Amino acid sequence: MIDSPLPSEESEAPLGRVVATERKPNTPHEFHFWTALDSPVGIGTIVRVEGAQPVNGQIPTIYGIVVEGFSYTDLQTPIHDMLGHDGTPGGGSLGATQRAEIRLYTAAVLRQLPEEPLQPVPMGRVFLADNNDVAVALRMDGYLREGANTGIPIGVYRAGGTDAPIYLDADFLIGPEAAHLNITGVSGLATKTSAIEWILSSIFTHFPSQKGSVAAVCFNVKGPDLCFLDQPGPVDEADAALYEKCGVPVKPFENVQYFAPYKSDGFSLNTLRSNDALLHNVSSLTWGLREVLQYAEVLLNKDDVDAKADALIDFIRERVVDRDFGDPMLGNKRYLVRSFADLEQWFRDVLSAMEGKNGESWRTHHVATIRKVRNRLSNISTRCAGLVTDDGAVSDLPFGSFQDRTVYVIDVASLEEDAQDLIFARVVTRLREHLEKRDLGVNHVVVFVDELNKYAPNDGPETYVRKMLLDLAERGRYLGLVLFSAQQFRSQVHRRVVGNSGTALYGRMDADELATPGYAVLSPAVKTKLATLEKGQLMVRHPHFTQPIFVRFPRPAILRGRDGAERYPQAVDIDLEAAVVRSLRTLDPTITLGWVQEAVGIREEDEIIRARNATVRERPVDVRKFFLSQLRPVVAAQTVTRPATAAVRSAPADDPYGF
Amino acid sequence: MSAVPIILSSAPHASFSSIARVLAGLLPESQPVDGGAPLELSAANTQPPRLISATVIEGGTLRARRVFEPPAVGFAAFLDGTQQSLVACYLPGGIPIVYGTVGAVIRDRRNQRLFTWRHAVEHRLYAPRANVSPSIWRSLSETGIVVHDTSETDTPDVATEHPHALRELAVHRVQKDREIAERSLALEWCSREERPLLIDGGTSGADQVARAACAIGVIKSHRTLYASGEALTAVLGLGYAERSSVFLVTSPKRASVASWYLRIRDPRGHDPMWGLIRVEVAPPAAGIDADVGRRADVVSRWILAEIAPVSLPDGRWDKMVYGVRDCEEFLRAVM
Repeated sequence: MIDSPLPSEESEAPLGRVVATERKPNTPHEFHFWTALDSPVGIGTIVRVEGAQPVNGQIPTIYGIVVEGFSYTDLQTPIHDMLGHDGTPGGGSLGATQRAEIRLYTAAVLRQLPEEPLQPVPMGRVFLADNNDVAVALRMDGYLREGANTGIPIGVYRAGGTDAPIYLDADFLIGPEAAHLNITGVSGLATKTSAIEWILSSIFTHFPSQKGSVAAVCFNVKGPDLCFLDQPGPVDEADAALYEKCGVPVKPFENVQYFAPYKSDGFSLNTLRSNDALLHNVSSLTWGLREVLQYAEVLLNKDDVDAKADALIDFIRERVVDRDFGDPMLGNKRYLVRSFADLEQWFRDVLSAMEGKNGESWRTHHVATIRKVRNRLSNISTRCAGLVTDDGAVSDLPFGSFQDRTVYVIDVASLEEDAQDLIFARVVTRLREHLEKRDLGVNHVVVFVDELNKYAPNDGPETYVRKMLLDLAERGRYLGLVLFSAQQFRSQVHRRVVGNSGTALYGRMDADELATPGYAVLSPAVKTKLATLEKGQLMVRHPHFTQPIFVRFPRPAILRGRDGAERYPQAVDIDLEAAVVRSLRTLDPTITLGWVQEAVGIREEDEIIRARNATVRERPVDVRKFFLSQLRPVVAAQTVTRPATAAVRSAPADDPYGF
Repeated sequence: MSAVPIILSSAPHASFSSIARVLAGLLPESQPVDGGAPLELSAANTQPPRLISATVIEGGTLRARRVFEPPAVGFAAFLDGTQQSLVACYLPGGIPIVYGTVGAVIRDRRNQRLFTWRHAVEHRLYAPRANVSPSIWRSLSETGIVVHDTSETDTPDVATEHPHALRELAVHRVQKDREIAERSLALEWCSREERPLLIDGGTSGADQVARAACAIGVIKSHRTLYASGEALTAVLGLGYAERSSVFLVTSPKRASVASWYLRIRDPRGHDPMWGLIRVEVAPPAAGIDADVGRRADVVSRWILAEIAPVSLPDGRWDKMVYGVRDCEEFLRAVM
């Protein structure tokens, strides 16, 4: 944190002078200055101008950031230089004197003090901004002062010997003001994921206690990117210095919980974090009929769900699922539909009854609609196998008991698109519902979604996920639900999603992307810098900053996905018994394969999985006993003695009617 | 020292506007002039072209000599001066009150870049005291700017009532002040430094400078040629990197200097004066001709090393070294 702004020492040497000509005048938002050839000024450097004439009795101080640079000599045309060298480029050494040369810079105004009257930038001396100047220039002094204290370090501004931590305002990053963060940049540099990991570390360290608790829900959408957030990774000295500068401890996340659906076999976790050594905080994510039916429209496209189908789905959801259901057409049979298997049986009976009566409709629903909905719903458990269970078993995020400073990672990287959409829609909806009721367990949740180009494109059909993201971006901040999103091409993401992101980060950008209209406000020099940013550099836009700022951030102290995948290779596919052992060992390390094989015997696969799921869900003290209790008892074999029966008396041959 | 370099600014200097306003207040009867062109642009060069035979001190006759060694960097600094004369107002009778600015600078070369070693800029008013009343002269003095009397002239036959003649007198006086400013800087350099200084113009104006080994004058104008007959043919026929024999330039009013012509650019396809300069250095002690030649070769190599970068777009770029152009640009910025 900084002290109140102090006037800089007069003894420091100016590095430039403001200049203005009729052709290049200064304005209230832009000014020009020249420097010595060896000055440390570059694109993105923050400078301070001290005016010479007082305004309203106060010497004006102007802060600016360099957005463009020019260099030229007194040469009028290139041919003069060619003449001077007799057309021989190698003759340059003949010149005893180098031509008079200028470094001329254009700076965008960050702040003027006093702020009124707002005047064109006056002529004056230009100084390199020190830490204090940077804080004032970026208006960080407003939220770094004692009493406010809502600064979240995003990185370090570095120029000409100045190493100044840059803080974002937690009110504008997490809400209730502005909120949301979007990061864009080319793929393959690990910048976007690393930046998000670093920012989450910073938030967890610096999120002010008076604002309550915060957790993060991250969707791992590709590879092992987020699979090792709790594993330490190497950090070099330079990065360690950045950590120290920002006051963030060099360590991985302490509290991380992983969730992943099963593969289609129903017992192997569908995640790259399936190594035995890391399973202690990996839970399965499985949902049953009730959970899925609420989000049927996520999985069913508009062709599937017309008004009639929608009405039937509503009927099933409201009147059938989890209800004691009966109907005269179905006779005296009662139904308690709790799983896809139950629902399939219910559909079968309804359709049989209709066929039996040769009826075309039942309860206003046409038989064709019923068949169609049956087809689509039944198909869900197949399309989302591993996530959606036939038997209704549910293993979910701990909604209601979220922990402060905990990251919940949902690995959807290996799932089909439908399953990814379903998970995203349901998790975000549940988060919103709980935050509305204030019973989630934490006050704020950061939801990180990568590949926004895919989930919220600015063109293409309207999808449920895109609607969710828009809703999240536009209304989430009031609830404490904050969207951190990332994508490669910001221009191809829905405008309202990125537009509602109060904070925007830019890593290295593709030149084609920079040529799109969204970047027209950036100068050519800033675009060039963006196109050549190194790893670990970002351009930051934040509501308090009137101009984008370049910062460096450290490599996260986390095992990178690729390294983690090598160190902790994915478990090979195994049989059911071994999968059960692996699951139960996270609860009781003494469990052996032999014990499991003996326990399950010749039982059906479904039964074993159900018992395993129940055990993992309940996390009992005595794992063995509980697991066994979930298996149907096997009746002991016993010898059955046949009762002696009297022989049938045969009829006398001569008197067949005599008895 | 050099031949009337002038500042061609698009607008008169800001201080000119203020002095014009002051004069309008002090001299209500005067007629202000708004934005006139510098007088140097219209001042004719009254000196007629002439040929003067000089005493050759290197060999018997003046002939072309090849500078065999390649160019070598030798100069440490460059000196030049500029002037600007503007009519601030006319008194009744067409008497011009001229606002003159003179400047001179030495630009020191360090690591191939030029930095200001010392510079001087002076502003003065120039008026013919003999043609104005004592009260007007007093009023001019009240402006706070030094007033120079242009009536004091070495040419008594000038029609001193003609406004143009009075303006020319003022220009000549401004020129004199510029030469004084240049000389002052040259003297300071010669008293403090031993590193070679290239002076734009001759060095014979001041004895101390003319005798200093570190002062080398380069003259670009050739209204006076120190050769005639075959010697002139030899001078005008010099090729690139050729110099003439060294001769002695003497004058009753100026110090003697050793001098030679040097061609610094290939004259083929150009006029005979193309790339032709005359160099002035301290005269040798009597009877050491061999040293004079060697010195001329060394200094010529130094000058040839200065032909790049070229001084374009200056019209005199064929003869002007870049360091001198840099001096003029500097003075243009500060005057």
